[in-house]
Amino acid sequence: MFKKTPVAAGLAAFASIIIAGGCAVADAGKTGNVDYTAMTSQELAEYLIFEANGFNVDQEVQEGGTAKQRLVQDEMHKACSVIGGGKPDQATLDAVRTAAAASITYPEGGIQLGDWQKGRELAWSGFGYRIGHNPDDHGNRPVGGNCYNCHQLATDRTGGTVGPSLTGYGKTRGTSEAILKYAYDMIYNPHAYFPCTNMPRFGSSGFLTQDAIADIMAYMFDPESPVNE
Amino acid sequence: MFRKALLALPVALALGATANAQKAPEDVLQGLIDSIDSSYLTQSEMNLMMMPDSPALWLIDDGKDLFHEARGPNNVSLETCDFGKGPGVLEGAFVEFPRFFEDTGRVMDFESRLVHCMKTIQGFTDDDPAIRTKHGNAADITKLQTYVASLSNGHAWNPPMDHPMEQAMRDAGEVIFYRRAGTMDFSCSTCHAATGKRIRASVLPNSNVPEEWTKAVSWPAFRVGHDNVRSAQHRVGECYWQMRHAEPVWGGTGMTAIISYWNDRARGQPAILPDMKR
Repeated sequence: MFKKTPVAAGLAAFASIIIAGGCAVADAGKTGNVDYTAMTSQELAEYLIFEANGFNVDQEVQEGGTAKQRLVQDEMHKACSVIGGGKPDQATLDAVRTAAAASITYPEGGIQLGDWQKGRELAWSGFGYRIGHNPDDHGNRPVGGNCYNCHQLATDRTGGTVGPSLTGYGKTRGTSEAILKYAYDMIYNPHAYFPCTNMPRFGSSGFLTQDAIADIMAYMFDPESPVNE
Repeated sequence: MFRKALLALPVALALGATANAQKAPEDVLQGLIDSIDSSYLTQSEMNLMMMPDSPALWLIDDGKDLFHEARGPNNVSLETCDFGKGPGVLEGAFVEFPRFFEDTGRVMDFESRLVHCMKTIQGFTDDDPAIRTKHGNAADITKLQTYVASLSNGHAWNPPMDHPMEQAMRDAGEVIFYRRAGTMDFSCSTCHAATGKRIRASVLPNSNVPEEWTKAVSWPAFRVGHDNVRSAQHRVGECYWQMRHAEPVWGGTGMTAIISYWNDRARGQPAILPDMKR
């Protein structure tokens, strides 16, 4: 599993040395005695994020703790953030892939398909873990899979194209143990197959529960599901 | 093809005659549509049709009155406000933000500079509704911003990079743009580094295509789905909400860095001000 290492820690120490030597940073944007131009762009970005009132890092978040942890990068985040776009080198990709594969855990009793009708609504729902001015209250609604944001599934609703179309997923692939495991892994941590993919790690991150994953998989595989019409 | 060629002709003539700034926002957008094949620019035929009657156009008039009216505890207008091109110079000022200001010692986005002038010149404080109310058509800040922005319609984005602080903020913004984090592992580039991709039905603008990106960063815009004019800060805030990241502070350093990078990516392309968006 990836360890959450605050990259800002070293920088914070660096900044506090400067501040200790002069007056403190007055408010957002006021640079005080902190010389932005003496930092690398990476250092300045971390400073703006964690130290210069750039983001509302004290807001409470659904998973417990504060919004600060939403901006702290783990090893995958760091490895896969390439300034200007593109992918990191092959050795880095391999390390990301290996760590992702190791992060996947399976439900007791093996991978099961749940209720495709519940899965249909979960696949459509973009609800969950949003914060800021309008935080999602998980007590009111289940956390959704956000699948349609990026994927076309059943064609009765419009899906996005950031990810590949999944229309007819089960119909064209069957329901062998191997393909069920592949789909489960892809939802749980897709970096195991596509290191530095744009797709979230819905299992590793704790975004979706095992039940939600089973329902969404049923929506993908059940012959009765409109995905497979 | 033929229609496109016909439409492109007067645009080309207008550009040659430096009449670009006098064009309506929909004409600026049409010029971009004619210049590049972009499903982002053309995605809403309805918005293209509605632009000549955009509710944002009313805010220009309201904002103009507010700008030139003696207001606030000091009972003076904003006519002496320096938006970077000298006191009272508004023409083309908006597309040269964010910029470094000697009097504050920091890089400011347009909205921060406007608030600064309202405080220092007119004497408003954070508690006054003129400054406190930041959202919606009725907000003074929305009206004033829409007015000043409209005086940069058709002007090419040209945020200055002469001061080292301007370059530093732009470069930090670039890092932030590509910096993955959060519950969903997203960065800005997750959605804005490819052409023609959609989130559900909405075509996403590509930050690597300036002709597309200029529309993406052309705020204030009448946001049809919100029935209100919104600013660049609203757009950034909404993206961060969707990304599940921490919210950028209004007028804060993170917001300024991101907008510095944004506007730089649209450099050289004409701004659509005010724009209309879904």
